[in-house]
Amino acid sequence: MVILGSKKSKLVLVFLTFTLLMSMVLSACSGGQETGRGKIVFANAQWESNMFHNAVAGRIAEEVFGYTWEEIPGSTAVMHEGLINGEIDVHMEEWTDNIPQYQPDLDAGNLQELSVNFADNYQGLYVPRYVIEGDSDRGIEASAPKLKSVKDLKDYANIFPDDEEAGMGRIYGAIPGWEVDTILQRKYKFLGLDENYVYFSPGSDAALQAAIISAYDKGEPIVAYYWEPTWLLGLYDMVLLEDEAYVDDESFKAGETELPAMNVTVAVSNKFYENEDNKDMVDFLSKYETSSELTSEALGFMQSNDADYYETAEWFLREHDELLDKWLSAEDADKMRKALD
Amino acid sequence: MDWIYNFPFKFPIDLKAIDDSVRAFSVKYSFFFNIITKALRNFVNIIYDVITFVPWFLVVLLVFIAGWKLVGKISKGFLYAGLLLLVGALGYWDMMNETLSIIIASVIISLLIGFPIGILVSTSDRIDDIVRPILDTMQTMPVFVYLIPALLFFGLGKAPGVIATTIYAIVPIIRLTNHGIRQIDKEVVESSLAFGSTWLQSLVKVQIPQAMPTIMTGVNQTLMMAISMVVTTSMIGVRGLGMEIINGVNKIEIGRGIISGTAIVIMAVIMDRLTQGLVKHSEVESSGE
Repeated sequence: MVILGSKKSKLVLVFLTFTLLMSMVLSACSGGQETGRGKIVFANAQWESNMFHNAVAGRIAEEVFGYTWEEIPGSTAVMHEGLINGEIDVHMEEWTDNIPQYQPDLDAGNLQELSVNFADNYQGLYVPRYVIEGDSDRGIEASAPKLKSVKDLKDYANIFPDDEEAGMGRIYGAIPGWEVDTILQRKYKFLGLDENYVYFSPGSDAALQAAIISAYDKGEPIVAYYWEPTWLLGLYDMVLLEDEAYVDDESFKAGETELPAMNVTVAVSNKFYENEDNKDMVDFLSKYETSSELTSEALGFMQSNDADYYETAEWFLREHDELLDKWLSAEDADKMRKALD
Repeated sequence: MDWIYNFPFKFPIDLKAIDDSVRAFSVKYSFFFNIITKALRNFVNIIYDVITFVPWFLVVLLVFIAGWKLVGKISKGFLYAGLLLLVGALGYWDMMNETLSIIIASVIISLLIGFPIGILVSTSDRIDDIVRPILDTMQTMPVFVYLIPALLFFGLGKAPGVIATTIYAIVPIIRLTNHGIRQIDKEVVESSLAFGSTWLQSLVKVQIPQAMPTIMTGVNQTLMMAISMVVTTSMIGVRGLGMEIINGVNKIEIGRGIISGTAIVIMAVIMDRLTQGLVKHSEVESSGE
């Protein structure tokens, strides 16, 4: 036991106070070195492309405009709410159709949409290519060679068995709460797939990924909802099942036609937008535009080179130098190029 | 100065090798895992069939009687039965049954495995030293760390749901069985042995009854832990109230979240009070009244 007032404990006390003071002085010093314009908080909805775009925009904010930046991770819904109440400054990927609240919030002026990051993405029901074409290298025979469209699934329920309900097939649906989940469930009823399929809700993105990877590793057939651009679909050879061509919003929401490519937008909070100091950053973000293909390319680089987001962003900006001219003024673009060298 | 604030070295761990070996393992032994998966799933389904076989008014009646007899007041019986009726009236009866079947399956497995382990741990300090950090790990390891490998091994749905719930819920029954037996007066155990009973007789007829209140507290805690996993397991595809909550929360449908959350609270409160009633009963019995 330490008795207060004994010689030893006094020494300990003095030592502790000293270290505490030292560290305070030191941290004060390092704090003083910080210059620049404050911090941008990016939303990190926890999928790869989002983190990648954060790194690209963050890097530019840092080098060109002199901000520091950080990410706050959270679920899609939480990130959207954070943007509205101003705790998050910038969201690089608002998947507009997946957030039921997006359009109402935009109409009410609760957030500012600056640009469309990309609009050439795909989503829908995927099957591994070996289900249709087989894979001679892995010794997998095509189990459903004639499967082409979502409608065809009706004939193949026995290929995708549900192991909780005998005699039924299983379709791995979308993440619960996403708008597309409701649409897919309507489609499932509309096409009469409910007669011999279970619409299985995977509960979370991680679980859905695990289900797909696990089936792929074993060479088993699986039909599951997924979307591009993602590393998963960059790495695994999956085929998007065809559907009726898109006609209008109404029939697509009723589940009758294919899911159209969705606007993935860059949005900022009102607080960030209204602050005059951020004008140049807002200007830059208003011009920020990539594509699904570019994003996939970067994610592919990251996956195959085991790079982190920061390195990938650097590689990406060097590789696609032309984007800098599109996004930034000539002067700023040069500044960024210098920083990259 | 850099090395003062930044940790100066880092082991080069090949994380990818771990990923690959876990995945290769799941593929290689998928036959074995399929058997476990099937067994667990059937177990849950049987429990679900039993629960749904009983008509709803009988369940309410049973809760009324149990509340009255176990807690000791007829007013409590009415309260619990009323709360249960509320769950039905909110439209969550079927979901509650689905959720209950997972919880009950996990609790039964937890008790079947945990109770003997608890007794074993109580017999030896060395085993206690080994088991304790394992239990700590099971309780504090973030669930998703072992859930994802569990998904690779057991697929999505009920089977990994039961496994994840069991890993979390088995801890209190082991700890409290161990604790309950250890806290018994040495003299009581010694005298039972002195009167010529074997170790097994002493255990079954003296030690376990003496420890019963603590063990029942363990059962109660195991049950509560299992209920607290409801939302987590629905993130790996377990249907029921948890899925309803995720659906509500992901869409920021606050009302839906609150109502389905309330249903879980009601379920938890009823099960908690009834098992605590059991604890009280066992206290009365073990004190020899």
